[in-house]
Amino acid sequence: MKISKKIIDNLKKGGVDFYLSVPCKLLANMIAILENDKDVYYSAVPREEEGMGICAGAYLGNKFPCIMMQNTGIGNSVNAIVSLLQLYQMPVVFLISYRGTPGEPVGAQGGMAKITEDILQTLRIPMLHCSTEKDLEKISTFSKHAKVVESPVAILCDFNLMKDDT
Amino acid sequence: MNRFDLLNKIQNILKDNLVICNIGLPSQELYKINDQPNFFYMLGSMGLSSSIGLGLALSQNKHVISIDGDGSVLMNMNTLATIGNRAPSNYSLLIIDNGSYGSTGDQRTFTDENTSLKDVAIGAGCKNVVECSGDETVNALNKAIDDKDNSYVIISKINSGNVKIDPIPINPITIRDRFRKFIGIVKYL
Repeated sequence: MKISKKIIDNLKKGGVDFYLSVPCKLLANMIAILENDKDVYYSAVPREEEGMGICAGAYLGNKFPCIMMQNTGIGNSVNAIVSLLQLYQMPVVFLISYRGTPGEPVGAQGGMAKITEDILQTLRIPMLHCSTEKDLEKISTFSKHAKVVESPVAILCDFNLMKDDT
Repeated sequence: MNRFDLLNKIQNILKDNLVICNIGLPSQELYKINDQPNFFYMLGSMGLSSSIGLGLALSQNKHVISIDGDGSVLMNMNTLATIGNRAPSNYSLLIIDNGSYGSTGDQRTFTDENTSLKDVAIGAGCKNVVECSGDETVNALNKAIDDKDNSYVIISKINSGNVKIDPIPINPITIRDRFRKFIGIVKYL
């Protein structure tokens, strides 16, 4: 719970006040925290691509949105990221559980893991890769950066960082 | 009645609300009929009009009308479940259902065969799902806007067919900023 709490605290410190999630077991604690947080909006959504749309609308309505998802969700959302969030220069934070990184027990997750950073690089999305607890301290500044550059940004949280956060 | 006729008919309702308008001909037709700063024209991301409008309605108090099409809703049907569980009362989804992919050459969609978006929306948990003719759409929309306690999904059944029209000449950042200025967020314009 300590890691998850630190991530949410830093996102809130960065101004993020609107949260969506497509679940991952590594995100479960963050979802539990947000479900009980009266200061911010939180909802689950069935699919990441529609989440990009809801985040775009939330930005138009003066919220600072974040969508939490597995890295697989990036694959589901490429067109929405490029032809909506980037076309209209909308700041959105992607909080990504980086499945398929070392420690991952499910071999099939390795495929998307191998290309996740390449996809984000191709999309020119700024990345913050969190491997240690200390890295999490950069999240609030990095979130604010999304607003300054009017762009989606991606925070990648390694499997081994999240797995013991019970 | 086709889409252009319907948009003409409802333009006076639209101009007093926040409107998210679907990509392609719907936005181009609406722009030609009566361009307003409170109209957000989609230039990409087919399927997401309903979702963008939902996020906007959840984030501020003005009434939001998402103008969507049958082809676009078929592409993003999961969002009907999100709407069915989360839509606030300042949200109306208007699905202009002409049974065809108008912007790509009027190919038939599945709503012209076996699929009922009304039944899908009800099954997804949406309340106040109204299927009506083009002529009945003005009343349905007015009722949805006047009802301060409920969200609505209106499926307006019309004929396919388009008018000859040009692409929207406004750039995306201008669309974004004049829209946010109308809400009161952008001050510098």
